[in-house]
Amino acid sequence: MAQVDRCAIGLTRRRWLGFGIATAVGTSLRATPVQSQSLPQSCAPPIPQNHEPSNGGSCPYPIPWLDKNGNHNQPAAPNVELSNIYHFKGKLARCSGFQGMGADNQGNRQAWGTPTTDYSYMAGEYWAARQAHQGVFAHT
Amino acid sequence: MSGLTFSSDGKTATLQMTNVPIIDQPRWPAMDAETTPAFLDFRLVFASTDEPVKYEDPMRQYRFEGFKAIAKLEASVRVPSIDFAFKTDPLDTSKCDFAVMGEEVNGRYYEASKT
Repeated sequence: MAQVDRCAIGLTRRRWLGFGIATAVGTSLRATPVQSQSLPQSCAPPIPQNHEPSNGGSCPYPIPWLDKNGNHNQPAAPNVELSNIYHFKGKLARCSGFQGMGADNQGNRQAWGTPTTDYSYMAGEYWAARQAHQGVFAHT
Repeated sequence: MSGLTFSSDGKTATLQMTNVPIIDQPRWPAMDAETTPAFLDFRLVFASTDEPVKYEDPMRQYRFEGFKAIAKLEASVRVPSIDFAFKTDPLDTSKCDFAVMGEEVNGRYYEASKT
């Protein structure tokens, strides 16, 4: 899976700095705490050998109606799909609209945050390649 | 330490990651918006309230059941190529407009989990 999501974190640089974050975090869900690591690229669909069937790759399936551009450009809100993964069951938390203050490395105090400063975690089971997988994912 | 941890009662979750590779793309979403490699450290804490929420759409096959939550975030960002860094104030100084935590089922798991 190349990316789970891509959105903007509003950290102020000039007026505000658009951080487009293309990050996926996948781990095995065995115990708490769960260690995070970059999702391996091996979830791409393998080329079948010896006329074996192709069941697709083990990458999580995106939300069909949200990912036309490979993005998840739907801010977290009541009564919307909060998961980034389709065919998923498990723990999920989502938040958006962060605001705060901070400072750059020159000591300049600046505000950060936009309505799309949006984070989540998803920890549980997803279905891909015709089998269940366990994983923990972060949307930044 | 990086990872996702839950309190023993499950009402607090902490997601912490360091050196997450990201991109600085100030002109996004312009089609030709240039990108610069950057790195993110963050700590995100969700604390559940007692106010339940349920979001469900049978047409789109999803159901979320959980609680409204309070979320707080602290982060630092580095863009080495331009020697830029930004660090937010401590966790408790941040505010968040919307946060929930709970359980989700969607897609092929939606019908199977109906109660």
